[in-house]
Amino acid sequence: MSEPLLTVENLNVLYGDYQVLWDVSMQARAGEIVAVLGPNGSGKSTVLKAIMGLAPAKSGRIMFEGRDITRVPTHEMVALGISMVLERRRLFSAMTVRENVLLGAYHRSAGKEAKSRLEWVEDLFPILAERRDQIAGRMSGGEQQMVAIARSLMSKPRLLLMDEPYLGLSPRIVKQIAGIIQRINQDGVAVIFNEQNVQLSFGLSNHGYLLEGGRVVLSGTGQEMIGSDVIRRVYLGV
Amino acid sequence: MTFTIFLEQIINGLIIGSMYALIGSGIALVYGTMRVLNLAHGEFYMLGGYFVFFLAVTYGLPPFLAIPVAVVGTFFLGMLIQRMTIHYLLGKEGWMFSTIAATLGLSIVLQNAALLLFGEQFQSVPYYLDGMLEIAGIRIPYQRLLIFVVALGTIGVMTFVLKKTRLGWAIRATAQDRDAAAVVGIPAQRIYLITFGLAAALGAVAAAMLAPIYAINPWSGLPILLKGFVVVILGGLGSFPGAIAGGLLLGVVEAIGVQLTSSEWRDVIGFALMIAVIWWRPWGLFGKKA
Amino acid sequence: MFQPVKPAQWLMVVAAVAAMIAVPLVTRDSYLLHVLILAMIFGIFASAWNLVAGFAGLKTFGHHAFFGIGAYVSALISIKAGLSPWLTIWIGALAATVAGVFIGLPILRIKSMAHVAIVTLGFAEIVRIVISNLQSVTRGELGLWGIRPFEGFDLPGFGTIVFSPADKVPYYYLALVLLLLSVAAIALLMRSRIGLSIIAMRDAEDAAESLGVNLTRKKLQVFAISAFLVGIAGAFYAHYISILTPNAAVGADLMILVIAMALVGGLSTFAGPLVGALILTGLVELLRDLDQFRLLVYGAMIILIVMFLPKGLMTLGPMLKRRFTPSSSS
Repeated sequence: MSEPLLTVENLNVLYGDYQVLWDVSMQARAGEIVAVLGPNGSGKSTVLKAIMGLAPAKSGRIMFEGRDITRVPTHEMVALGISMVLERRRLFSAMTVRENVLLGAYHRSAGKEAKSRLEWVEDLFPILAERRDQIAGRMSGGEQQMVAIARSLMSKPRLLLMDEPYLGLSPRIVKQIAGIIQRINQDGVAVIFNEQNVQLSFGLSNHGYLLEGGRVVLSGTGQEMIGSDVIRRVYLGV
Repeated sequence: MTFTIFLEQIINGLIIGSMYALIGSGIALVYGTMRVLNLAHGEFYMLGGYFVFFLAVTYGLPPFLAIPVAVVGTFFLGMLIQRMTIHYLLGKEGWMFSTIAATLGLSIVLQNAALLLFGEQFQSVPYYLDGMLEIAGIRIPYQRLLIFVVALGTIGVMTFVLKKTRLGWAIRATAQDRDAAAVVGIPAQRIYLITFGLAAALGAVAAAMLAPIYAINPWSGLPILLKGFVVVILGGLGSFPGAIAGGLLLGVVEAIGVQLTSSEWRDVIGFALMIAVIWWRPWGLFGKKA
Repeated sequence: MFQPVKPAQWLMVVAAVAAMIAVPLVTRDSYLLHVLILAMIFGIFASAWNLVAGFAGLKTFGHHAFFGIGAYVSALISIKAGLSPWLTIWIGALAATVAGVFIGLPILRIKSMAHVAIVTLGFAEIVRIVISNLQSVTRGELGLWGIRPFEGFDLPGFGTIVFSPADKVPYYYLALVLLLLSVAAIALLMRSRIGLSIIAMRDAEDAAESLGVNLTRKKLQVFAISAFLVGIAGAFYAHYISILTPNAAVGADLMILVIAMALVGGLSTFAGPLVGALILTGLVELLRDLDQFRLLVYGAMIILIVMFLPKGLMTLGPMLKRRFTPSSSS
C-alpha cells in the first residue's frame, strides 16, 4: 500500500480544561474519501479543525506528506496542499460570489493559476458564473455551500477537509453535494468529511472512523463498518 | 445672518467634516478588522502632526515632500506599536477589554512622551496655500479647499485599496471571518498589523492637513479622538463608508449648531448627537441592525 | 464565585480596619493623613467602578462624570442655598445617581463593549464641558472656591469635633466611615441575590436571561448604586479640598487614575481596588518631584499590567505560591 497522505497520531485536544479529543489516531491515503462519523459532541468536528490548525493540539502528531504539520499555523496550510470547507459554509457574506471564490486563491502559490482554476470550478458549479456579482450572504444554503466548496478548491488542494458538508441542506442538495465530492475525488483530491448520518456517509467513503466521546471506537472500510454490530445496532437500528 | 454666511458655514462644516471622516475611518478600520477600540488613535494624529512640523518647519522640507514622509513614518510607527502591545493581547482571555485598557495606557504614554521630548509649547505649520476662492460672494480659503481635496483623495485611495487590491480583499475577508480567512491562507496577524498602520497613517494625513489651522501640542490627540468616536457611532462602529458619511454629517451639524449657539458648545453638540443616536439607533445611522 | 468568608480573611479585614483606625492615634502628621484621605476617596471611587466594570462586566470609561456631578452639585447647593454639607453630599450623590440612570439606560441595551466605552467617555466629556462653560454658576476653569467645610459637632467623650484644614483627623475618620460603608454596601450587594445574578449574567449572559433574570433592570440598579457611591466620593472630595476645577473633578486623568488603580490591584476582587488606590495614591506623592513622569508611569503601568499581570497584584500572591509549591497534579 502507498504511503499515507495524512496521519494523525494520538491527538489530544483541550478547550480550556475540557478535553475534547482523547488519543485520536487516523489515516487518509492519497485519492481516498474518509468519513469521520459520530454523534453531536463526539469531537468529529474538532478532528478536522485540529488538522487545519484551528483547534490547538495539546499532544500528539499530525503528519502530511511526511511533514509534521502539528504546529503549522492555519494560514500556511493551503500552501502545503490542504484546504477546508468550514462548518456552516462561513462565506465572506458581505462580499460577492466572485470575490469569495477568488479569495480561495489568495495564497501566492495558488494565485498564478487562479484564472484556470476559476474556469475549472465554474465548470463544476455553473451557478458561480451566473451569480458572480451577487452578495454571497444573500444566497440559499445550498448555493452558499457550492461557493464554499468552490472557494476551497481554488488553491488546488491534495487534501480537502469538509466539516459537516450536508448540515442544514435539503435531501436534493445533499445528493448534489455528494456527487460533487465524488467528482472532486476523481480528480485526485483526497477528501475527509464528517457527518452524523451513517448511511449517507458509507455510500461515499472508502474508509471510516467512528468517534464517541472524543475517542475512536471503530474504524474500517465502508463495508466493514456497515457490517459491524455497533453501527448496525446503534446507528442503523437493525 | 445672511444666506451667504450660512452657506459658507455649511461648506466649512463639510471641510472640517472631511477631516473627521479621516479620523473616524481609521478608528472604524481597526475596529472593523480586529475588534479593537483604539483609544490611542488620537495620539497617532498628534505624532503625525509633529512629524509634519519637524520635517516642514524645522528641516524646511517642502510640504509635498514632508507630508508623504510623515504619513509613511506614522504608518510604520503604528505598526511598531501594534506589534509591541496589541499583538500579544489579541485572542487572549479578556482581550476585548485588555486591548482597550492597553490603548488607554498607550495614549497616556505617547502623550507624555511627546510632552517630555517636544515640550508643551504649541507648534504650528504655515499655510500650504494662500489666497481665497470667491464664488457668488462665498469665500473659501484655498488652504481649506486643499483640505477637502486631500481628504476626498485619501478616501478614494483607501476605497480603491479595500475594493480592488489583494491587501484590501484580505482586510475585508479577515474583518468578516477571521477563521475562514486563515483557511484560505490569509495571515490574520499580519493583516492586523498593516491595518493598524494604515489607520495611524490616516490620522497622520488629517494631522498634516489640519496642522496649519490647529496648533500641534502633546494633548491635541484627545479632542480629535473624541470627534472620531462620535463619527463612528453615527456611522456604525466598524463601517468604513459609515465613518465617511458620519464625519461629513458631524461637520455640518456642528457648523449649524455653532451658528445657533456659540463655539464653546461645539463639542457638546457632537456628543449629544452621539447619545441621541445610541438611544435611537445604536447600530448607527447608515448601517443595518445586526 | 463567592465562597463563605474564611476566618483568616475575616482576621485580615479586622486587622486592616484596626490599622486604619489606629493611624491618627500614632501620628497626626497632616501630610500623611492627607495622602490617606485621598487614598480613601479614590478607594471608594475605584471600588464603585470595579462594581460595574469588574463584577458586572460593564466596562465603562466615564465614571468621572459622576464624581464631578457629586462634587459640583454638593458644593454649589451648599454655597447657593446655604445648606449644610452634611445634607448636600447626599443631594450630590443623588444627582450622580440620576445621571447614572440616564446614561445607564441606553448603554445597558448594548452588548458591545466598544460602544459602552465610547458613550460613557463622551458623556463624561459633556459633563466636563458643561461645567466648564457655565461660568456664571461654576466659575468654569477659574475654579469654584470657598466651598463650605463640614460643620463641627459635639461628640460625647471626645469634645467638639471641628473640620478645618488645620486638623485632618476628623476628615480622616469621616472618609474612613464613608469608605467602610461603601465597601460594606458593595460586599452585601454582591452576596445578595442581585449580586449572584449579576455574576451569572456576566459569565453567561444568555443562560442568565433564560433563567428569567431581568438583566437590564438588575444592571441598572448596580449602575445606579455605583454612580451613587462615586457621587458621594466626589461630594466629600469637594468639601474636603474646598476648591473644584472642571479638570480636577471631571478630567479624563481622574478616570485614568482610577482605572489604573483597579487594574493594578485586580479587577473583580474586593480588596484589589483598595490596594490599588493606596499604592497609586502613594505613588502620586512619591512622584510629586518628578511630576512630568507621573502620567507616563501610570500609562506604562496600565500597559504592563494588562500584558503581564492581567488579574492584578492581588493574584500575584497565589500565583507565586503555586509556582514555588511542588505541584501534585503533574
